[in-house]
Amino acid sequence: MIKVEGLYYSYSNDDNFAVKDVSFEVAEGEIFGFLGPSGAGKSTTQGILTGLLQLQKGNASVAGYDIKNISRKMFNKIGMSFEQSNVYSKMTAKENLSFYSKLFDVETRDPIELINLVGLGGKENIKTGEFSKGMKHRLTFARSMINNPSMWFLDEPTTGLDPAIAADIKDIIKEHNNKGVTVFLTTHNMFIADELCDRVAFIVDGVIKLIDSPKILKLQYGKKLVEVEYVQDGNVKKETFSTIMQKDKDLLNQIIADKEILTMHTKEATLEEIFIKVTGRGLV
Amino acid sequence: MKLLSSFKKELILASRGFYFYVELIFALVILAVLLFAIPQNFSGTSTEYLYFNLPQEGKEIFKNIILEDDLDTKSEMVEIKAGGKTFNAELIVTDESEIYIVNSEEAVRMLAETHRNIGAVLELDDNNQLHYKYYLQGYESTRLKNLISILFNESTDVLKERIENQDVRPLSTGYEPLNDRENTIPPLVAFSGSLMGMFIMASYIFLDKKEGVIKAYAVTASSVWQYLMSKIFVVLLTSVVSGIIITMPVMGFSINYGLLLLLLLTTGFFASSLGLLIASFYNDLVKAFGVIYLILILMMVPSIAYFIPGWDPVWIKIIPSYPMLQGFKEIILPNGDIAYPLIASAGFLTAGIVLFAITNIRFKKTLSV
Repeated sequence: MIKVEGLYYSYSNDDNFAVKDVSFEVAEGEIFGFLGPSGAGKSTTQGILTGLLQLQKGNASVAGYDIKNISRKMFNKIGMSFEQSNVYSKMTAKENLSFYSKLFDVETRDPIELINLVGLGGKENIKTGEFSKGMKHRLTFARSMINNPSMWFLDEPTTGLDPAIAADIKDIIKEHNNKGVTVFLTTHNMFIADELCDRVAFIVDGVIKLIDSPKILKLQYGKKLVEVEYVQDGNVKKETFSTIMQKDKDLLNQIIADKEILTMHTKEATLEEIFIKVTGRGLV
Repeated sequence: MKLLSSFKKELILASRGFYFYVELIFALVILAVLLFAIPQNFSGTSTEYLYFNLPQEGKEIFKNIILEDDLDTKSEMVEIKAGGKTFNAELIVTDESEIYIVNSEEAVRMLAETHRNIGAVLELDDNNQLHYKYYLQGYESTRLKNLISILFNESTDVLKERIENQDVRPLSTGYEPLNDRENTIPPLVAFSGSLMGMFIMASYIFLDKKEGVIKAYAVTASSVWQYLMSKIFVVLLTSVVSGIIITMPVMGFSINYGLLLLLLLTTGFFASSLGLLIASFYNDLVKAFGVIYLILILMMVPSIAYFIPGWDPVWIKIIPSYPMLQGFKEIILPNGDIAYPLIASAGFLTAGIVLFAITNIRFKKTLSV
C-alpha cells in the first residue's frame, strides 16, 4: 500500500535533512507505526506521503499512486487525521463534515453517523469554535473517515484525549483495520503503538533505526524471567525465576501448585525501553 | 460541484465573519457621504470685505455698480462678528461672491484675519486718485497676485476687449463633464469595491492559516485552485455589491451597468489575486500588514492625478489603480469611451490570471505539516 525508497527531505533545501534515506514498505491491511520523539521526521515523512510536502529526493508511492506526480484521485483513497485539529470554527460539526464530504469523488459517509461514532452525538449543530480541544480533535479524526479511506494516515490520534475516549478511538482504528483499512500511525506514544501496530519503525534524527513487529522486538530485547508474588506462612514473598533454567521452571511450577499467587509478570521489555536501547534516545 | 460547494462554504464563513460586513457597511457610509456631504458641484463662491473710504457720492457709485450683479439687486443689512467685536455690514450676494461692505478699515482687517478671506479698502490718495489696499491671506496663488497687480495698471476696457477678442476653439466636442459628486465615484468604487478586496482576501487566507484548514483541504480530492477561487468568488460578490451600492443611487440608470459589472469583476479578480499572492508569503496579517499598506499607498497615488488633471506623469499610468480609475470614469461619463474599460478589463483579467497561477503554485509549494 505504501512503498518508500531512499527518501530525503530538507526544509532549507540544503544538506540539513529532516529525513535521510528513509525506506520502508507497508502492506495492505497492516497497521504500521512510525515512532519517534518530536522532530524525528515522523510528520515530515507523513507530509510527503500525503502530498503536503513536495517530494525532493527518493521514490514513494501510496495506494498505487506515484507521489512524484500526485493525482487528486489518490485522495479519494486516503484519509488523514492531523495532530493539530483543523476544523472551521465558524461552522458547526455537521457543516464541517458535510462540506468535506462534497470534496471527494467517491461515496462518503453520513456526517451524523461519524459524529456519533466519535462520541460527539448531540453536538452536531454547535459551532466548533465552542468545542473543547479534545472535541475538535475527535471531529478532525471523524473527518478523516468521511471518504471511507483504504489508506488511513493518523498523526497522534489520541493526543490530548482522556483515557476513555482514547480507548474508543483505538477501538475505531482496530475495527476499521479489521475491515481491511491500512493504517499509517505516527505517534510518540509507545503504549498505543504496542497495542495497535502490526509493525513499527523507530525513527530518530530523520533516520529509521529499526523496523519490526512489537512482539518480536519484545522477545528479542526482553529478559526471559518471571516475577512472582505469593503467600507463604501468612507472609507475602516475591521471587524471580528464569523461564529457561529447568530448576527455576520446576520451582515455579511447585509454587503455582502449592501457594496462593498474588501477582505474576514476565519481565519482557516495553517498546519504550526497546526504543531507548536501540536509539539511545528518549521519546520526549 | 466541488467549486460550488467551496463557494457555498465560503459564503457561510463570510456571512458569520467580520470582514464581509465591513466592506458593505463601508460602501453604505461612502454612499451617505456622497449623497449628503458632497454637493453636486463644489461652491466657487468667495467672501470679500470692502470698505469704501470715499466721499458718500463715491461710495454710492461703487455700491451701485456691485449691486447690479446682486441676485435680487438689493443689499441686506447684517451684523458680522470678528475678534470679539460685532460689525455692521451691507451684504451683496452675487453669483460668484458674498461681498460685505463695512464701515471701517479696522473692520476689513479684523474680518479678513478672523474669517481668512480677502479684504479691500478703496480710498483717494493725495492726488485724488483711487487707491486700492488689499488684505490677502498669503496663500493666494501667484496668478491671483499678478492679476491684482496688473488690474490697476491696465485699463479694464482694454483687458475686457482683449479677452473678448481671443479666439477660443474647442478641439474636443460632445464632452459633458461630470459634476463633483459623480466625479468622486470612480476613486471610491476603485478603492472600496476593488482594492479593498485585496485586503479582505488576505484576511480570509490568514484566518484559514490560523485554523490550519488549508492543510485539511489539501488532502481532499479537490484542487487547491478551487479552494482559492471559491474565496475570490466571495470577494468578487462583495466588490460588486459595494460597487453597485455606491454607484446606483447617484448615477441611476444612466450608465452601462454591464460594463461596470465587467470592470468590477476583473479589477476585483486582479486585486484579490494580488491579496492571495501576498498572503502566500506570510503566516498572519500582522506580518503582512507592512506590504499591504505599502501597496495600498502606491495604489492611492493615481487618485492624486485623478483630482489634479494637470499632474499626469507617464510613470503613474503603470500603477494598476490608474486604469481602474480611468475605466470607472469612462463608464460613468455621459459620452465615455467604451473601449477604455473594455481594454482595461482585458488587462486586469490577464494580470489576474497570471497572479492567480503563481499564487496557486506558491500555495501548493508552501503547505506545511
